[in-house]
Amino acid sequence: MFKFLALLKILLINTFGISALRYKASKNRLEYLKIIGLGLAITVGIAPTIAFYSKLLWDGYELLVPIGQQGAILTLGIVLVSSMIFFFGIFYVINLFYLAGDAQSLLALPLRGWQVLGARFTVVLCYEYLTELPFVLPPLIVFGIKSGASPLYWLYSLFGFILIPFLPLGLATIPTVILMRFANLGKRKDLFKILGGMIALVLAVGLQFVFQKLGPNAMDPAFVQNLLTDPNGLMNLISRVFPSTKYLGLALVNADKAAGLINLLLFTGLSLLAVILAWAVGDKLYFKGLVGSSETTARRKKLTNSDYKRLVTGSPALLSYCIKEIRLLIRTPIYFINCVLTNILVPVLLIIPFWLQSRNEQGPMPWDDLLTKPGGSTILLAVIVGVAIFLTATNAITATSLSREGKEFFISKYIPLAYKKQIQAKLLSGYIFGGLGSVLLLIAANVMIPLNLATNVTILAVSLVAIIPIIETGLLIDMLHPKLDWDNEQKAVKQNLNVIWAMLASILIGGCILYIVIRFFQDMATAATFMFGCFGLLALAIYYWLMTRGIKLYQQLEG
Amino acid sequence: MIEISGVSKAYNRGAIKAVDGVNLTIRDGEIFGFLGPNGAGKTTLIKMITGILNADEGNIKINSKDIAQEPIEAKMQFGFVPDDPNIFARLTGLEYLNFMADMYNVSAGIRLERMQTLLQRFEMSGAAGDLIQSYSHGMRQKIMVIGAMLHNPPVWILDEPMTGLDPRSSYDLKEMMREHADAGNTVFFSTHVLDVAEKICDRLAIINKGKVILCGSMEEIHQHARENQSLENLFLEMTENV
Repeated sequence: MFKFLALLKILLINTFGISALRYKASKNRLEYLKIIGLGLAITVGIAPTIAFYSKLLWDGYELLVPIGQQGAILTLGIVLVSSMIFFFGIFYVINLFYLAGDAQSLLALPLRGWQVLGARFTVVLCYEYLTELPFVLPPLIVFGIKSGASPLYWLYSLFGFILIPFLPLGLATIPTVILMRFANLGKRKDLFKILGGMIALVLAVGLQFVFQKLGPNAMDPAFVQNLLTDPNGLMNLISRVFPSTKYLGLALVNADKAAGLINLLLFTGLSLLAVILAWAVGDKLYFKGLVGSSETTARRKKLTNSDYKRLVTGSPALLSYCIKEIRLLIRTPIYFINCVLTNILVPVLLIIPFWLQSRNEQGPMPWDDLLTKPGGSTILLAVIVGVAIFLTATNAITATSLSREGKEFFISKYIPLAYKKQIQAKLLSGYIFGGLGSVLLLIAANVMIPLNLATNVTILAVSLVAIIPIIETGLLIDMLHPKLDWDNEQKAVKQNLNVIWAMLASILIGGCILYIVIRFFQDMATAATFMFGCFGLLALAIYYWLMTRGIKLYQQLEG
Repeated sequence: MIEISGVSKAYNRGAIKAVDGVNLTIRDGEIFGFLGPNGAGKTTLIKMITGILNADEGNIKINSKDIAQEPIEAKMQFGFVPDDPNIFARLTGLEYLNFMADMYNVSAGIRLERMQTLLQRFEMSGAAGDLIQSYSHGMRQKIMVIGAMLHNPPVWILDEPMTGLDPRSSYDLKEMMREHADAGNTVFFSTHVLDVAEKICDRLAIINKGKVILCGSMEEIHQHARENQSLENLFLEMTENV
């Protein structure tokens, strides 16, 4: 246990940069103040959203009191965050447990599997508390105040807050550790890591789908009646997304009764069980999945003349730089999972549940008559373009384009390729993946709602123009403050604030234009022309900035 | 030829002077060794010569091309081997070499011939098709050296090039450096090992705490060292590293 605690302490200091912060506090006040300022800026930045969320919960509570369903606001927050922790937990586990540069550095120490996995698990847990804070704290406080809750409620809330991430993170860890043990068997380990990550994600979404399907049909009249008459009917319905959360909801709602304690004990038991199981599986399998996982097989085959002729080819420098970017994106598991996979997976994940549902129930889908309604096609256009923008912004390919180079950035500085061309090559690599995402998205849209050729062409054309300013904004933000000083690839893409800024900027850009479209345009052709013009002009303006001020900025950056 | 005039670089708002008013001229036809203990400022100066860092003061010209004013033209003049060969680990050796050849506009026919020759000379033909990730430190160093030589640059800038090389490759590289200089080209390389510099350099400079404290032939340097106590200590530090 002592070794576990010692390891945990050092991992926490390293992961959260506590020593670096202390060093900056004493040696470089300005840098220290910048970090503090950034933290404050983020808090102030998200404060209005939290206030809005709290207001919704406040009003929702009052709305639900007459039907006795106010407990639902608690479950809503808990379910939301549990699902997020579960989903992101898989990414964290793959990235931090297996792919991070320092993942194997602990193998040489006399430690047991559970000690290393447990310490890393706890580090992820700390991240998850940060995720949990804005989602769970408002409903807990709103419910507490509105219901005039007893001290016991607040005690249970604190307890619940601590326990919430245990179960989803445990559930995310178990299949990942098992899959990664087998992913480590073959020769193409990088490839298997990527496949393992993909399977884990699909499995996770599949499991969620099964959980949801296990519940009663939402349209069943008996169920609807029960929903409204059972004091916790709505809470039960919401918690179907993550069934265990129901116990915490019930514990909080009945904090003053024996049922509250029983439910809390149930929730605690389930949470601890998930962690114990995850650590036990980790003790057996974690090291087996990790030992030698960075080994690379080499053929060491002497190349023949014809091999040379086939493999040695010349390309224009800009294209060659772009190909290099794409190769590194695809071959580096962390970049592939975080940047490329989201492009492919999101459209696929969007299709599956809808497709299955429409096959199973054979009833009309809510959007089936969308195209016949006035302004319906404009809404469709706006929604698809909006998702394409969101996808492109979240893949963060350009928003981490310089950051991903890290210590290798010096190469970009000494090669005789003009900064202008390097910027263009980075934009091109982002555009290729953004464009791919847009095409896949359109295919997904056609599965849900068949579209004619003209609509398809219009949506694709607008999407392909709309993603340009998004790609450019990502690069612009990364150029202003690239995160080049990292020791593992995870930090370049997952712990990079540029990704968040770029996403917020993209949501703002896309949100404004799409709001105008939905609000003021009925005809699809006019809306498409407007969007084409807006996004096109914006693309030109940012491109102009990149080619003038951006080049100077690039020149000033030092490797 | 490399001309370095009054070049300085400071960090922490001027608190730490990494390179302090350096003036050096590296002539055509010579191997110039750049020596100094760890942290003396060697790599910082090399990074400024190659355009990786911007100089705070002074200017640097490579074959009369100013690295700040005409960066692309200046960069075409040299081939650079960095001190850390751990780059592009997820590209194969050939992909890396192709990339470098594309950057320096080496035509397809010429690159094929040069790649084959250099890969054979450094005994890397069998590994060129594999990922750099699978290479040992020495092999990575070799592929960097090959990448830097593909466009047959008149100036070679090598940062600690012998580190990690096996004796055979180290000998070959020294031979190539000599051949390159004898053909009227410039070779500028850094090392913290005096012994290496002593054997192959025509001239050398010693840098300590950001300042060039001595520049000249090996003989001149020895002469100064005998006369100057502090220099002798510096020498001892470097010779102890052999």
